[in-house]
Amino acid sequence: MDENDGDEDEFGFSRNYFLAKELGGSGKKSTRKISDINLVDEQELSTAASKIITKHEKEIVSLMNRYKNLYPKWGFELRCGFGLLMYGFGSKKALIEDFASTALTDSGVVVINGYLQSINIKHAVITLAEVLWDQLKSRQRHPSGKMSKVQQSFSSQSMDDLLAFLDGSNSKENDCYVSVVIHNIDGPGLRDSDTQQYLARIACCSHVRVVASLDHVNAPLLWDKKMVHTQFSWCWYHVPTFAPYKVEGVFFPLILTNGGITQSAKTAAIVLQSLTPNAQSIFKVITEHQLAHSDEEGIPVNDLYNICRERFLVSSQVTLNSHLTEFKDHELIKTRRRADGQDCIYIPLKSEALEKILQEIG
Amino acid sequence: MAPSATPDSSSSSPTSDNRENNLQPFFVLHKALPRKSERKATGPVKTRRKIDLSPASPKSSEKSKADRIEEYEDCHYKPLRIEAFDLVWSRIETSIQDVLRDINNNVFNEIHHWVSESFTAIRSFERPNSSKVNRLYPIVTDISCKQLFTGLVFTKNVEFVDDLLTFEELGLHLKSHGCHVANLSSLEFSAKNGIGGCLKSLLRQFVRVTPDAADIAILASWYSERENCDNPLVVIIDDLERCNGSVLAEFLLMLSEWVVSIPIILIMGVATTVDAPRNILPSNALQRLCPCKFTLGSPAERMDAIIKGVLLKPCFGFNVGYKVAGFLRNYFLRQDGTLTSFIRALKIACVKHFLAEPLSFLLEGILDEDSHYFWSEKCALLPEVMLKSAFDLPSCKRDKMAEQTGENLANGLSELKRLRKNWISAVLCLYEAGKCHKIQLLDIFCEALDPDFFNKRASDHQSGLGLRKGGFICQAVRKVRDLPVARLCQLIKIWEKNTDGITEIHSKVKELLSMLKFEDNDKSLKQDLSHTSKRPTSRSHLYKDKGTKAVNEKAAILLECMVRDYLQPIECTPFHEIICFSNVDILQSALIGDPRRTIQVDLLKSHNYLQCSCCSKSNNSLLPSMHDTSIMYTLAQEHGDLINLHDWYQSFKGTITCPTIKGKHKMKQSPLSKKRKTNESPDISEASIQARFCRAVTELQITGLLRMPSKRRPDCVQRVAFGL
Repeated sequence: MDENDGDEDEFGFSRNYFLAKELGGSGKKSTRKISDINLVDEQELSTAASKIITKHEKEIVSLMNRYKNLYPKWGFELRCGFGLLMYGFGSKKALIEDFASTALTDSGVVVINGYLQSINIKHAVITLAEVLWDQLKSRQRHPSGKMSKVQQSFSSQSMDDLLAFLDGSNSKENDCYVSVVIHNIDGPGLRDSDTQQYLARIACCSHVRVVASLDHVNAPLLWDKKMVHTQFSWCWYHVPTFAPYKVEGVFFPLILTNGGITQSAKTAAIVLQSLTPNAQSIFKVITEHQLAHSDEEGIPVNDLYNICRERFLVSSQVTLNSHLTEFKDHELIKTRRRADGQDCIYIPLKSEALEKILQEIG
Repeated sequence: MAPSATPDSSSSSPTSDNRENNLQPFFVLHKALPRKSERKATGPVKTRRKIDLSPASPKSSEKSKADRIEEYEDCHYKPLRIEAFDLVWSRIETSIQDVLRDINNNVFNEIHHWVSESFTAIRSFERPNSSKVNRLYPIVTDISCKQLFTGLVFTKNVEFVDDLLTFEELGLHLKSHGCHVANLSSLEFSAKNGIGGCLKSLLRQFVRVTPDAADIAILASWYSERENCDNPLVVIIDDLERCNGSVLAEFLLMLSEWVVSIPIILIMGVATTVDAPRNILPSNALQRLCPCKFTLGSPAERMDAIIKGVLLKPCFGFNVGYKVAGFLRNYFLRQDGTLTSFIRALKIACVKHFLAEPLSFLLEGILDEDSHYFWSEKCALLPEVMLKSAFDLPSCKRDKMAEQTGENLANGLSELKRLRKNWISAVLCLYEAGKCHKIQLLDIFCEALDPDFFNKRASDHQSGLGLRKGGFICQAVRKVRDLPVARLCQLIKIWEKNTDGITEIHSKVKELLSMLKFEDNDKSLKQDLSHTSKRPTSRSHLYKDKGTKAVNEKAAILLECMVRDYLQPIECTPFHEIICFSNVDILQSALIGDPRRTIQVDLLKSHNYLQCSCCSKSNNSLLPSMHDTSIMYTLAQEHGDLINLHDWYQSFKGTITCPTIKGKHKMKQSPLSKKRKTNESPDISEASIQARFCRAVTELQITGLLRMPSKRRPDCVQRVAFGL
């Protein structure tokens, strides 16, 4: 019976996929551009974004309050050695931190903000070890001689040593643990497999308990069976909060800010500013040419060389080439071949972006 | 970065003081408060209630009776429940470990024997002396001295997860016999770590130092120390197939050069076939190996052993219901295939049971020597409300117990225990009968738990047994009829042990056994006779066959009888809720999250969760009051795999600015009608609509349901999920 259901599901899924593909392919494709929308100024947009009124604020609060009844359960499951994995739509940051600060008072709590772009996991582990050490010390159950040896600063220890410390095999101390709250365990800063391996190793330490939140629909693909069954040992909880992803979304560019033109122009400008004035001028030559002849493939290398030499920007082909190589490395320019076989250089940006760059470096 | 620092972000966050913390990669939320025993006594942590978002007072006024019961038992019986859980689970855990150890024990001993033999063999080459060890590089010319003794342990299992524990156990086993053991995981043999990583790990485990530069000479000099050099060094690599071939080869070559001064013996887990080393290693490394083969038990065998050793032990209180058992079985057979996940699921079930069932602390009684005494004592002290809740259990209501006294509850529980013991005996007998025909215990176990099956049997007495055709139990009974004598005799002997607790059946089994013995004697007598006459007549053969067939028939009837009378599933007995977990939904949702589906459902049915008055009356149509992202995702469903941002924006704008449901029909048409523009309510500015649109897109991006515009198609986003 259930087998049939599974097949049905599968069938429905693939059918949906192909229907969607068909809809995109055959139907009258909409060719409208973002620029057709009467876009407001970027500054105005971000001000407006910061002023968005959250809908259903009251209901969200009562939803969160309903979850409060689960706190004792969560605490118990943590104690039993499971990791808690919260998922469902909405920011769970406030919920988990509230849980940690009301129900996990017996243990130290370290929060890792996985939604940030880069996280040094080792620093986090060092902090964890320090918190645990304080905790063990205050419990006063360890013979002091043993402790003092560990005392040496954690920051100089290797990851393996730190993990070994967190994974103290002392079964009597089993109820002494540090809780780690990981917001967006699937976030950009934690998404790579090395970090996930480390997180898994942290999670299976006997003195550590993990409460994590997950937002990406494909996040479980980050883990293999070893991580899921023996290390994280998740207990899943579906807790949609519908709270806005305010902090989590900070680093995502707003999609209506000129379709990312500002973004690429900005990054290009930053790269250019780090180059020599001559290099900047050469780039300007290419830009001006591209703006003047936007329908052409780009500027032929020979023409570029001639113009640059006239303006005393380069003295030989070799110098020009070295500049061009640098541009290429930074993905500022690309080459393509014209119909007559000549190599042309062009900048893979739109005219609006090019104008912006000219303003920035001009 | 500005939006994060907006003042209103604090309104939803109870810990507003760590707003700067939001941009820290990590921070300490709080340190452990000093644990006070008196705080524990006053019940759950109430000291920090001030952080609550809403005052608890309105809630308390409308507290129902159920709440009061809950509160009462929270204070008094929750600690008992936790204690009982600890006891029950630690028993289960240790017995699982024991069962697994027992299964592996033979292989482990075999391996240990081989390790010691290999060690002697290495020693016979040359005894290292200190002068040699200190030399930079031990020069060995004889190729046979460079052989690495390698044990290939075949795991018969594609899933390496289960074997991690096995290899850990193997390590402990060898350690307990005096070997120096290091466990290396296949992850350490990655191209990124290189051979240095493996060496470091070796040194860490053997020498217990972490040197800056990994050098095998450190290991050599450590081994030459007096207290170390009399025992073999064993290196266990859990999964050969997952190792990087070139790193492993390099590692092997290095070890083989040093094998005389460091007698390392390798043990490698192999999931596939004998070919695995050949596929992974180059020939120069292969030449150095001197392999020996060992085989572990298959997952199915282990599963049966665990069922037998844990779930079918009368002294384990925790039980699972039919549906839960079925779920566990399917999860094991079809989805995961690892014992580890099965055990984890069992633990989750156990935790959930103790969390959900107020009376579950009584489960501890089953572990007790004198259960009845335990229960009478506990039940006599039970408060009225809890006693009532016990007699209000569905299983009990069905049976209409006479009086709601603690004594009756205790009696009920004792009866439950007795019935369960009988059930176990019957299941074990069935298993033994089906064993010769490869019927798995797991299958019988699940079928035997089916309450419908039992109820049907009970309702139609006249149609005989009413065994499910083609069911495992039916098969097992049928197989008894075809068993050869020797097997039958063995089977009945095992039955004799299994039915120890049921006197009636026990005597019948003994009767059967004596019949068989009589047959046996008869047969040997006949054989003697035929020996003397040298001419066995066909008639005597016929007679003999008839005799055993009669015993077979009787055994089968006896088994049927056991099934009828004693195979009463736990869910058909009063008070079973106290010791039996049957909520399969809770287990499933805790074990397997399904974010891909659920997050989409959240978005498409947001009002189900928010339970607001404004959106609930919509019949699947979009209302401007709905959650923005929810509106956006619902709108996205109408697009193909690409969503044109412009169109999407216009339909979003149409939806949130149109006050009526009519908007729904309009948005299906091509947007950008002039009419819409005039319709726009003045209080929503263009900027705020665009901002809300951007926010919703960002949120969908966070959930991974959208892919952002590519350079090729700058005006379209891509849908990722199609259908639930």
